[in-house]
Amino acid sequence: MENYRIFDSELEKLSHKVIQMCSQVNQQLVDVVIALQTTDLALAKKVINNDEYINNLDVKIDKLCQKIFALQQPVASDLRYILSVLKINNDLERIGDHAVNIAKRIEPLSDYTDLVEELGIDLLGDKITELFSDVLEVVKTHDLTYAEKIYVKVTGIKEECKKITGKILGEMMHQSEVVVVAANVLIIINLFERIASYSTNLAESITFVVEGEIVKHRRHK
Amino acid sequence: MTVDKIKTENFSLFYSGKMALNNISITIPEKKVTAFIGPSGCGKSTFLRSLNRMNDLIEGVKIEGKVMIDNIDIYDKNIDVVNLRKKVGMVFQKSNPFAKSVYENVAYGPRINGLSNKNQLDEIVENALKNAAIWDEVKDRLGDSALGLSGGQQQRLCIARTLAVNPEIVLMDEPASALDPLSTAKIEELIVQLKEHYTIVIVTHNMQQAARISDQTAFFYLGLLIEYDKTRKIFTNPDKKQTEDYITGRFG
Repeated sequence: MENYRIFDSELEKLSHKVIQMCSQVNQQLVDVVIALQTTDLALAKKVINNDEYINNLDVKIDKLCQKIFALQQPVASDLRYILSVLKINNDLERIGDHAVNIAKRIEPLSDYTDLVEELGIDLLGDKITELFSDVLEVVKTHDLTYAEKIYVKVTGIKEECKKITGKILGEMMHQSEVVVVAANVLIIINLFERIASYSTNLAESITFVVEGEIVKHRRHK
Repeated sequence: MTVDKIKTENFSLFYSGKMALNNISITIPEKKVTAFIGPSGCGKSTFLRSLNRMNDLIEGVKIEGKVMIDNIDIYDKNIDVVNLRKKVGMVFQKSNPFAKSVYENVAYGPRINGLSNKNQLDEIVENALKNAAIWDEVKDRLGDSALGLSGGQQQRLCIARTLAVNPEIVLMDEPASALDPLSTAKIEELIVQLKEHYTIVIVTHNMQQAARISDQTAFFYLGLLIEYDKTRKIFTNPDKKQTEDYITGRFG
């Protein structure tokens, strides 16, 4: 009784593009963390330049969603998927922007690698890339066990961010000469924290696709 | 508060021994639009026609179970079928105006029910045509033949004819399937207006139409009621895989 629908090829195309977008953003995060950890300015530059590709993909995905809404009138799981793709796409694009913002702050930090290491920014970066590999999996497979892993990791990352922020504020009070670099580090931590929050959104969007339940605002109050 | 208007209990129907409806239990709320959807041959039209005993006219039909309207079993032997069909009107897929004037089409029902007072008839005709959202288009040609109206107008005239006998329930069997998009939109708007006073049950093959106008949707397949829920639920997150597959066009 299974029908092949014209719609299916559009959905496949959309799904392919979303995974492509997520993989690209994942690569941006991996690169920016390595660039931060090794003060690799060339790699940071690559991240900045690659943003245009992500922005183009973002527009393509939006247009494809628009086309499907207009021409196919999706319902049920198809509707939930396309609604979620619009949000997922938006969240991924913002994470991409944050990777660029981090990349732009690597150079001002290049003389303070010891401080960066001492504060645990390196490790925080590793945790972000680990988190995002789960995001990539949940977007690819729709396996919600990854969503659960994401929620746990995000909670850990947010605590870590809070802890590091406290440490930096302490340093700033004692050594006024670190104020400029510390401000940059604070911004980076804030960007990592935002990336973690967007990861939660992504997991919630996939949960909506799979279960049809809106779960946002229900957790981590 | 929602009041239950129609309630069926384990209702089955057989055409010459062949089961067409299998144990249908459903509760249809008053003054709401309830849509029946499903592939051809799934039993939805048969079930619709069971709600005012139109299937009685077909030879070899046997039923089991109950259809209750306002808590009265309509298949009870004491039921007057003519009165039942007055209370439960029906609009068909293909508009079927009589070869009479617009006025006479609408006045026909009240007349055969014994009403002859001209003023009263005029009032009923005008109200019915207004309620069917066609008054402005026909008020200056009430004496013209109904057959001269467009397809969409004919269908609204048939709705007016149904309303003229003051029913409580209006059954509609694909009322807009033969109409162009503009006429369809008019019928849909009319249906939504009508639910203020009437309980509407509509069979439609147009999924988007069911989604647009109904409050509740029932999905039938192979004579079974597979799923029945709020329309919003059915079209965003149905519980049954068969419903999902049908409304997304994966089978049927």
